[in-house]
Amino acid sequence: MDMVAGRVWADERKPVRHIDWVLLLFVAVLTVVGLILLHSISATSPDEAAFWLVRVLKQGATAGVGLLIVVLIASFDYRFFKVYAGFIYLAAIAALILVKIPGIGATDPSGVAQRWFSIAGIQITPSEITKLCVIVMLAAVLSEIRTPEPTLGDLIRVVAIAAVPLVLVFIQPDIGTSIVLTAVVVGMLIVAGTRLRHLVVLTVAGLVMIGLAFQLHVIQDFQVQRLTAFLDRANAPEDARYNLDQSLVAVGSGGLFGRGYLQGSQTNLDYVPRQHTDFIFTAAGEQFGFVGAMFILLLYALILWRAIRIAALSKDPFGTLMAAGIASMFAIQMFVNIGMVLGIMPITGIPLPFLSYGGSSILVSFAAIGMLESIHMRRFT
Amino acid sequence: MERASSRLKVLALLVVLMFVALSTRLWFLQVLATTQFQREARDNSVRFAYSEPLRGKIYDDRGRPLVENRESLEVRVNRDAMGSDAEAVVLRLAKLLRVPVRVLVERLQTNQYYSYQPIPVAEFVSPHVRDYIGEYQELFPGVEVVPTSVRQYPQGRLAAHILGYVGLIYANEYEKLKSKGYEQTDVIGRTGVEQVYEQYLRGTQGVQKFIVNSNGDTIRALGVRDPTAGDDLHLTIDLRMQRDAERQLADGLARIRGTPTSDRSALLKANAGTVIVMDAQTGAIKAMASSPSYDPRWLVTGLTKAQRTYLYKNPAAPAIDRAIQLPYVPGSTFKPITGLAALKEGFATMGGYYPCDATYTHPGDTSGTVFHNWTTANLGSMSLSNAIRISCDTVFDKFGSDFYFNYVQNQLNDTSLLLQNDLHQFGFGEPTGIDLPSEASGLVPDPAWAAQAKMADGTKLFPDGFVPGIDILTMIGSSYVNATPLQMAQAYGAIANGGHLCRPHVVDQIEAPDGSIVKQPEDRCGRTIPYSAAQLAYIRSALGSVVTSGTASCTFAGFPTSQVWVGGKTGTAERPPYQDTSWFVGMAGKSVNAPKYIVLAMVEQGGFGATGAAPIVRHVIEDLYHLPETHTGGCGGGDL
Repeated sequence: MDMVAGRVWADERKPVRHIDWVLLLFVAVLTVVGLILLHSISATSPDEAAFWLVRVLKQGATAGVGLLIVVLIASFDYRFFKVYAGFIYLAAIAALILVKIPGIGATDPSGVAQRWFSIAGIQITPSEITKLCVIVMLAAVLSEIRTPEPTLGDLIRVVAIAAVPLVLVFIQPDIGTSIVLTAVVVGMLIVAGTRLRHLVVLTVAGLVMIGLAFQLHVIQDFQVQRLTAFLDRANAPEDARYNLDQSLVAVGSGGLFGRGYLQGSQTNLDYVPRQHTDFIFTAAGEQFGFVGAMFILLLYALILWRAIRIAALSKDPFGTLMAAGIASMFAIQMFVNIGMVLGIMPITGIPLPFLSYGGSSILVSFAAIGMLESIHMRRFT
Repeated sequence: MERASSRLKVLALLVVLMFVALSTRLWFLQVLATTQFQREARDNSVRFAYSEPLRGKIYDDRGRPLVENRESLEVRVNRDAMGSDAEAVVLRLAKLLRVPVRVLVERLQTNQYYSYQPIPVAEFVSPHVRDYIGEYQELFPGVEVVPTSVRQYPQGRLAAHILGYVGLIYANEYEKLKSKGYEQTDVIGRTGVEQVYEQYLRGTQGVQKFIVNSNGDTIRALGVRDPTAGDDLHLTIDLRMQRDAERQLADGLARIRGTPTSDRSALLKANAGTVIVMDAQTGAIKAMASSPSYDPRWLVTGLTKAQRTYLYKNPAAPAIDRAIQLPYVPGSTFKPITGLAALKEGFATMGGYYPCDATYTHPGDTSGTVFHNWTTANLGSMSLSNAIRISCDTVFDKFGSDFYFNYVQNQLNDTSLLLQNDLHQFGFGEPTGIDLPSEASGLVPDPAWAAQAKMADGTKLFPDGFVPGIDILTMIGSSYVNATPLQMAQAYGAIANGGHLCRPHVVDQIEAPDGSIVKQPEDRCGRTIPYSAAQLAYIRSALGSVVTSGTASCTFAGFPTSQVWVGGKTGTAERPPYQDTSWFVGMAGKSVNAPKYIVLAMVEQGGFGATGAAPIVRHVIEDLYHLPETHTGGCGGGDL
């Protein structure tokens, strides 16, 4: 009897029986929505007519690879990440340094930023992967804190650990990813139980740093202008203002129910620059209106709910912190990207998870889902 | 970490605030302020500015230009936009352009174009005209002056049939081609290489996209795609040879026109003709002249009524390329080919002798049909070579009978059509595949054709079906068999080069504007004819003897055959009710074993081959080899 009961117990705790199917379903729906939007952008655009199939197929194939990554990562016990957190962290830093070395990292067409490796024609963006590496490292460090709440010393250690990749990403320059990293640190510190007082001090210190960056022109003028375009549209640079104007017109003209699939003039006539990447939400806003936009927001809300739920269910502080970090990452990316499209956040190059066209962004998002699943599946063991 | 769940609630709260912020903003943009944005979306509009690519240029085999482009100020008229007072506009325009009103009206009165297609009516107008029309646009509704690029022909009307011309896209063409990106104002290649290589010559249109506001002011230039010029054609044509061929053809026609017909009842009309110079080893056309011709420059602005009548409603049909677009009865120039067929099938041998009687009757024929030689004398027995040299018909008539018997005996056998099969192997009865449009197939008469051939009044041409006379007449290239001059050149080329049927072609290679080669010269000599080297050499010697001591010996008297070997065959084809077609198909080169060129002349209503076409060939060969031009003449008729 005991034996039988024991077997049932073990069986019930097999990780594979505890996949979070609900999370996967929401991610799948969001990915399909992304492909539908991508098709509408590429198929109707006179300039891009030749590429629509290529883009949709490529994005679909990337999502397929993403699904494999989910399976692969979920089948590993997430606690291994804790063991190798130091290596993962150092590898990310090495990649961020390597990408700045001329000849190794590739420069984007504008010649300003140097952000990715080009290996066999595939672009690999280390700053995207860095986000997950930082989450793993911080979760490992914070979960080892034995006091009820982190001491100031712990806090300084954590901030120092996060600051290295943050600065490296910032000087690429990749302001978008810097914002995401900052939000991840803050989110994880909150969940780790940091005192409000300490958080306030940290925030003030951060603001001072940003002020210094402006003063010392670490941030270049064109970046400042883009960042502040949403605050002062009249004096914004032509380029940024145009992008924002067309974005708002696209979303605003969608109305309550949208102008219909493939019926959006802003989308069809290619008015919105970078619409298939950073501004993909405009395609949803114009074609499917408030209802469609809210549906996408709902999907994100559901994914974040599952992520925070996984954080809460985990019996292990490392799992909780990792899930919380991932939730923070998705939340800030969604908020800053859609906020940018709607003109309430600065224009930064943050992709919208699962929707924006681009390999690294999609794969990292799926890898994060794989981590969440791994935590969820092993919540009893 | 005990407080993790309460801390997670803080995180969740922050996330909820994010959603509240986004939803509120969405509500504002999409519900409260949507009318304003919808208006802005409507006011957004895109304009496209197209820039036309330069059409590819056409060069001869040494890179000398045959067709180029030239900047022009073009006057275009959009008939739909002329308003109610179109007549007054045309009058004013005619006065301004200093062209007769009639000419303008002729160009505009056409149903080949849509009424809203701007039709070019004048080229190379002065900037003054442009400024005037621009200044008084209200006097010229529907009229615009645009800078454009038009075809220029530095060699004048040279090689008009080969080059072809370009013209404004017709309404029916536009319907078919608009999916390929053609515009209503595009020109398109018509006939010649301009038509066949349209896709290469055309180039890619440039596009500039502008975003304009409701006032039409440009807000922003979006994408730019610069136009890419079309690819350049490098022809096999040699400019000098082409000029010589055209001159010799024109001179020859003029000379023949002054001479009497064979029965001396009238003067020869010599209304049309062709000269072909082909590289016998490759099939490359070095020169190809067709007369009468026309000037491609007429078509740059569209034709006047007189030009259109001349080109299209004229019995002389100058638009037709005689070299490839009309089949002719080949006459005795067919004998080297049918002679080879007889050798192959064993009806003749290189050592055999055959009677050249005054008449020939098919054995067992009871209809009383008698085939006559060109002379009433009985010339005795002779070899196949001699039969070619003096062009004896009755020798070949007998071979025709042999082929017919073979057919009768093997009627259920696929290979029973030996003669027809042999001729098809030589490329007859099908287009050669030259890279020029509207090539004729010619005809190899066979039982299927005989079964349905009708006379002009609709009665059957052959009530008894496939009769021996068809094979007999085909053997001497008479009556029903016909071939384009180019098919003849191709077949003689195979005899000259040792058995390779090379597809004739006029484009050697195609070069992109950046200098890269789009289309390499290719080997077009993959087809072979099944004759032994000895058989082909035997026929080439016979062709040589035609020139030295045969039917063309008078015409080639004094020709330095020790310097340049020449062989060839005369042909005089009856073509009732017209005067005889005059042929000479020649080959020239270092020796009988290595003829380099096929040189062919054909003159419609030109009389005897020896006196009509052969002198033209002689002069063209003299030009090819820079030999002093001799005066030919005084050679009598009677030779076939």
